[in-house]
Amino acid sequence: MTEDVDSPRDLIKLTHEKLSSDVVSTSVTCPSCGAISMFIGTTRDTFEGQKVIQLEYEAYVPMAELEMKKICTSIRAEWPTVRHICIQHRLGVVPVMEASVIVGISSPHRADSLEAVRFCIDTLKATVPIWKKEVYETEEASWKQNKECLWSVAGKK
Amino acid sequence: MISEVSVLYFAKGAELTGLKSETVKLPSELTTLQLWQELEGRHPKLSVIREQVVLAVRQEYVALGDQSVSLRDGDEVAVIPPLSGG
Repeated sequence: MTEDVDSPRDLIKLTHEKLSSDVVSTSVTCPSCGAISMFIGTTRDTFEGQKVIQLEYEAYVPMAELEMKKICTSIRAEWPTVRHICIQHRLGVVPVMEASVIVGISSPHRADSLEAVRFCIDTLKATVPIWKKEVYETEEASWKQNKECLWSVAGKK
Repeated sequence: MISEVSVLYFAKGAELTGLKSETVKLPSELTTLQLWQELEGRHPKLSVIREQVVLAVRQEYVALGDQSVSLRDGDEVAVIPPLSGG
């Protein structure tokens, strides 16, 4: 028996390997879908004028996977036509300009997958236990805080 | 009643405690605020993140407050500083 290639898939991956947008888009391709919407988050080389020389991510891996699955469940409740969802997040050292996160979502028509991708990345920043440290040229380092996170300095305002 | 739980630290929390994880004996019934106070008592440096932290108990978020939690031997508790994934 071959698996039904068109049955909905939730693909979640946390990895120390370099991310590939081709792999993500291929993983959500399906014959009945006219749209694949993608978001690629990349690492920046400056923060408030300071040169960033290295970025490093760490995760509470099993809980991060659980929270990513919850996002998939929410997407399917809100946009029932969404077919496949792929969320990949990189861990460890990520060189500047490389992807730290890629989201790919397919749906028969573009509106649903576009909205779902936006929801996915916004929710990921608010709820998935992953942390980023920026290391600056001055050798200082700082743990970042997403404004979407409800218990961050910005999120509490 | 006392339970032996494993406590995980991440990001700033791991830097402040110098630990990624430890096994801790804690009261089996306590509020989430008391749970935090137990951890801060072990690691006073954690006080700097007190205003920006939540806990996870068995991989579910809990805010610091008067909500009570039951801890069993082997449970996993995590200190969760502000998130910065993405």
